[in-house]
Amino acid sequence: MPWTLLFRNMIGHPVRSTLTVLSVAVALALLCVLDATARGYTAAVDLAAQNRLVVMSQVSLFVPLPLSYQSKIQQVEGVKTTTKFQWFGGEFGDRGGFFAQFGIDAESFESMYPEIGLVEGSFEEFRGERTGCVIGKGLADQFGWAIGDSVPLTTPLFPRGKSGEEAWTFVVRGIYKALRPNFDEQTMFFHFDYLRESLEAGAALGPPGVGTYAIEIDSGVRAETVMTAVDGLFENGPQRVRTTPEAEFNRQFLSMMGNIPLLLRSIGGAVLFAIFFAVLNTMLMAGRERTRDLGIMKALGFKNGYIGAMLVMESMLLILIGSVLGIALAHLLAGIMKPFVSGWAPGFAIDGAVLLNGLAMAAALGLISGLAPGLRAAKILPVRALREDA
Amino acid sequence: MAVAITLRSVTKTYSRGGETLRVLDELDLDMDGGTFYALMGPSGSGKTTLLNLVGGLDHCDSGLVQVGGDDLNSLSASELAAWRSANVGFVFQGFNLLPVLSARENVELPLLLAPLSRKQRREQAERALELVGLKDRMKHKPRELSGGQEQRVAIARAIATDPQVLLADEPTGDLDRESADAVLQIMQRLNRELNKTVLMVTHDPQAATYADQTIHLDKGKLGGIEDNRTEAGAN
Repeated sequence: MPWTLLFRNMIGHPVRSTLTVLSVAVALALLCVLDATARGYTAAVDLAAQNRLVVMSQVSLFVPLPLSYQSKIQQVEGVKTTTKFQWFGGEFGDRGGFFAQFGIDAESFESMYPEIGLVEGSFEEFRGERTGCVIGKGLADQFGWAIGDSVPLTTPLFPRGKSGEEAWTFVVRGIYKALRPNFDEQTMFFHFDYLRESLEAGAALGPPGVGTYAIEIDSGVRAETVMTAVDGLFENGPQRVRTTPEAEFNRQFLSMMGNIPLLLRSIGGAVLFAIFFAVLNTMLMAGRERTRDLGIMKALGFKNGYIGAMLVMESMLLILIGSVLGIALAHLLAGIMKPFVSGWAPGFAIDGAVLLNGLAMAAALGLISGLAPGLRAAKILPVRALREDA
Repeated sequence: MAVAITLRSVTKTYSRGGETLRVLDELDLDMDGGTFYALMGPSGSGKTTLLNLVGGLDHCDSGLVQVGGDDLNSLSASELAAWRSANVGFVFQGFNLLPVLSARENVELPLLLAPLSRKQRREQAERALELVGLKDRMKHKPRELSGGQEQRVAIARAIATDPQVLLADEPTGDLDRESADAVLQIMQRLNRELNKTVLMVTHDPQAATYADQTIHLDKGKLGGIEDNRTEAGAN
């Protein structure tokens, strides 16, 4: 019966209740998507491998390091293996297709990044073809690429051909899925040697060298020791380097775009704040309209706490229905948004943590917005409540 | 067991617009258990305030309000709520049914506070509705009932928990003569057949004739008590 009364009171104003539920649903969906984006964004830092370091120029990330450095780094004690990472900056045709591409060393890359799991093709096929590449599943789905497809890219960093507008052609030899959320599925990896050989042969123009080196250290070795050793190795040039843990490198890289998680969470907080007032207004109106009914219930013997709890429960019920719809909407939105955001927010997903956070916020919202009318209803004297106009 | 009501030196004041109104002024009153009382007096004489004090809806400023041996002034808000649930039924002028519930659900409402199963609550609510002749209307919402029917549902709700005291604040004020008589007859039956103590505020002298005695209030003091049973033509 109390549930009957709660439901009946709720549907007593169907338009108002529906609008409130929809507001909560949209707000919660937005909150979940923003939270998922912020979490996905920081996943690259939070879940970065502890045994990997990144070497970059001490001047800037955009100043290339000599190719000769790799063999020297490889000889530092505690270094297990190394690979190159060269930003390519290519664009796919005239479809406005921009995504990240890196030139890497295929052999070492495979062993250094176990979080990449090939779901189609193989590393063997990739290694066997100079123009081969490995692409993320998200990228394959977005552009409809399959194993064996050619991917023509043009890049202002490494113009190709006499006109400088000739496309670089890569052949898809592997499609990967990220086995951990610190890695996105929107990136293409190709042979650095393909780029180097093209530059050396004069088929393309561009700066020699490599953007960064990634190092995998031996187990049991302190990262600080290796970092100091590598930095010391090039202390006298020709190019001084800065070695950092992968997490720190990722953090610095992401911070170049500003504090995106703070921005996203601020928007989420503002949405939550706005919806709090909407629900509070609904509940205050509901409480005031039913003052006389609450007075009757008090006259019948219902205690103040029971009456107050009824309004809080009604608020929670509105929020609960809105939350169920909101979660469904969040999943729908996430499906649509994933290809667009997972490139820079690799861990983007409406997972348990996101849902728990969203539901906790929603529950707090329901509780707080139900408390004001609930306390008022609990406090009001029965004789005063009964005098209110129906 | 019929419940008697005793008031000793009861004073109740209200502050309104900076002015203090003495609504009940050192009132002494004894009401026997199992008697039907009509409470009359001009507007502002303290009728409804007296009813609220006897019903445990409000506290007096000073004095003693005792109902069936319970000193209502000594009870906390929570204890008073429990006391109301067990001892008193209210009938209001404006019917005061919850519009979102059916007639039976309205009658079931006070039974939620009793240790009854859902089936028992339904049966008891239906018995109460049968007593006021509205069992066939139990699924109707208040807006689908006439004023007289709504007030009978309110009476059924008031007696659903079988309280010994029934308090009615102008129960026929919004009804036509025919409906008013039907309601008053039910209240009279509840008094005579079930021995309930009934206290009814009314402005209607004809309604007062259904009561055993009429208490007259004037400016918060007792104006007199009239025994209707000795009057010719009493119902």
